[in-house]
Amino acid sequence: MFVTDIRKEFYDVVVNQRVALFVSPDIDALCACKVLQALFHCDQVQYTLVPVAGWQDLGTAFMEHKDLYINCSNVDLLETLQPEEDSVFFICDTHRPVDVVNVYNDTQIKLLIKQDDDLGVPSYDDIFRDDEEDEEEGEDSGNESDGSAEPSGKRRRYDECVCVCRREILFDYEQYEFHGTSAALVMFELAWVMSKDTKDMLWWSVIGVTDQWVHDKIPHMKYVTDIATLQRHVSRHNHRNEDEENSLSIDCMRITFEYDLRLVLYQHWSLYESICNSCYTSCSFKLWSINGQKKLQEFLADMGLPLKQVRQKFNSMDMAIKENLREVIEESANKFSMKDIRVQTFAVHFGFKNRFLASDVVHAAAALLENVEKDETPADNFIKALDCLSRSNLERLHLGIDLAKRKLKAIQQTVASCICTNLILSQGPFLYCHLLEGTPDVKLFSKPLALTLLCKYLLKAFVCSTRNKRCKILPLIMAAPLDVEKGTVIVLGIPPESETSDKKNFFGRAFEKAAESTSSRTLHDHFDTSVIELKMEDRGKFLDALITLLS
Amino acid sequence: MDPAEVEFLAEKEMVKIIPNFSLDKIYLIGGDLGPFNPGLPVEVPVWLALNLKQRQKCRIVPPEWMDTDKLEEIREQERKLDTFTPIPSLYYMELTKLLLNHSADNIPKADEIRTLVKDIWDTRVAKLRLSADSFISQQEAHAQLDNLTLMEINTTRSFLLDSLNYMYKLRSNLQPGRSQDY
Repeated sequence: MFVTDIRKEFYDVVVNQRVALFVSPDIDALCACKVLQALFHCDQVQYTLVPVAGWQDLGTAFMEHKDLYINCSNVDLLETLQPEEDSVFFICDTHRPVDVVNVYNDTQIKLLIKQDDDLGVPSYDDIFRDDEEDEEEGEDSGNESDGSAEPSGKRRRYDECVCVCRREILFDYEQYEFHGTSAALVMFELAWVMSKDTKDMLWWSVIGVTDQWVHDKIPHMKYVTDIATLQRHVSRHNHRNEDEENSLSIDCMRITFEYDLRLVLYQHWSLYESICNSCYTSCSFKLWSINGQKKLQEFLADMGLPLKQVRQKFNSMDMAIKENLREVIEESANKFSMKDIRVQTFAVHFGFKNRFLASDVVHAAAALLENVEKDETPADNFIKALDCLSRSNLERLHLGIDLAKRKLKAIQQTVASCICTNLILSQGPFLYCHLLEGTPDVKLFSKPLALTLLCKYLLKAFVCSTRNKRCKILPLIMAAPLDVEKGTVIVLGIPPESETSDKKNFFGRAFEKAAESTSSRTLHDHFDTSVIELKMEDRGKFLDALITLLS
Repeated sequence: MDPAEVEFLAEKEMVKIIPNFSLDKIYLIGGDLGPFNPGLPVEVPVWLALNLKQRQKCRIVPPEWMDTDKLEEIREQERKLDTFTPIPSLYYMELTKLLLNHSADNIPKADEIRTLVKDIWDTRVAKLRLSADSFISQQEAHAQLDNLTLMEINTTRSFLLDSLNYMYKLRSNLQPGRSQDY
């Protein structure tokens, strides 16, 4: 059931108990976890933090306390976990649709989800009518009545009719997967309601919302609305401290609203590299082709930026160039038909040297979370990524930024090679691309977040480079090798590229159905149902099943 | 003594806070504290103030001497005189460090205060070194320095005492009848 007063029904209940915190590996969940940890530290609540990578992990890590799940449940929890009667689950999740059993369970499951998201949960009567009828006959609530009493012919038809209706309603409801309000924002609003919000928590919620935008989980309108909400909080915090004529110490954290460039990591890299490796600019210029490179040189010449300056580290560029950089770039970008080169975001500023944009931190944390370089367990990477979000761990953040740069370069090179060698094939109702094992840096793409970025980048690049109008509106499925010894690949599907898309992804259900119908050996372990693992040999029949399913 | 020990002793000093919670009087071994009422200032030891601040349960009010004008006066006086001026708090260095690290947002002009306190510290420690130097070179038997704080004494204590011991040993070895034949 939905929690209406998050403070009374959630925090006050939890504050006197020992809590287990299960957190899924994405940046929004990490930020929500940080905010909640800060609140727990203030009130000295005992908690256990458990990173879980998928449903199997969740099952094995399940312990018997009051539990709190962050960002991982749109499936019936009670069935999968079989908990005791007195465990209560608090779920803070951005995955939609929320499973109906979770919504209508009154005792054990409480959802910390904002109800003004357009949830579209079917009403209780539509789905559970069968149960009421069954209970009258003294049966357990279940999907179909087992029918010890002989139903009359009419009643049987009515039952079937209602069952079919229910299935349709459920199918419509659960068909598309999308994301709702950021979990970090929900936690920040909890802190705000209790007047315990600090700038650190505000910054973490900014990172959570920015993560949703960077990994393309929410439509642009929702991002703008969330940013507006956050901006109100930011101005409130800024006014609180600057109202005296004495200004704040330079070491205090300052968050500012910026209308900054959409160039990834440009303040920690050189401007040239950043333009080459940002999805937006690279696709607009088509930098994988020679014409594209020429256009880039024209663009730089149009702005009057000498190549030597542009290839230097950003911090070492001439002050004269840096002063009006954003306006100059925006003007030139408009001439080259890049209308949205600037985006609303936030920057944090503490000490004399440290200035970070929210998207910088998101990329750094994502790179740390999915670090494949050394032999470290996912739990270690999780803790490292969690650490880099605090202000005191700047070396880790810089390490994350370096890893992110490598990841972005790898993505750019892979996209260029895929487009130039025509690796993307149209299979009818969708586009398909398979990364071969020998591809450089292919290990990076065995992780869902990195593969998602690659997928979106690739689809955008394909849409820009192809002439076939029909292919422009197709979704993309991508397969990359996961584990060479076991012979598995990770398969991911994203919706088609469009300006006003609402980012609803139907591949979750499609993958499940295709796997069932061909009895392929798949593992639907990830919390994002559009990411699955598949055995290499079953790839062919799985794809054929998908083609028939979706056409 | 370790500087950490000196800081530990400094945390017993009282400082004013403004809590945002309410609690009855608490009876501790060192004395009674409270009662705490939201919005009303109360005096607590620094260790408690810092703990409450980290848990966002209070706002720390900077001590009266932690003000740029007063500190500038003290700094000017320190630079003029050869002896040590009396300073408002025996633990000024530790308190500045603790309060500015944990609650810089409650202290106006925190950066200037940090610089001023550092200047005062540098001047005093320089005077201390000068006087130790003249004490040794003039081979005095005893010296008296007023208005020194524990932290300043602690910086020279181990070095000064050890070097005086060594010098005594060296001097007594120079006396006739004590030379050693090898």
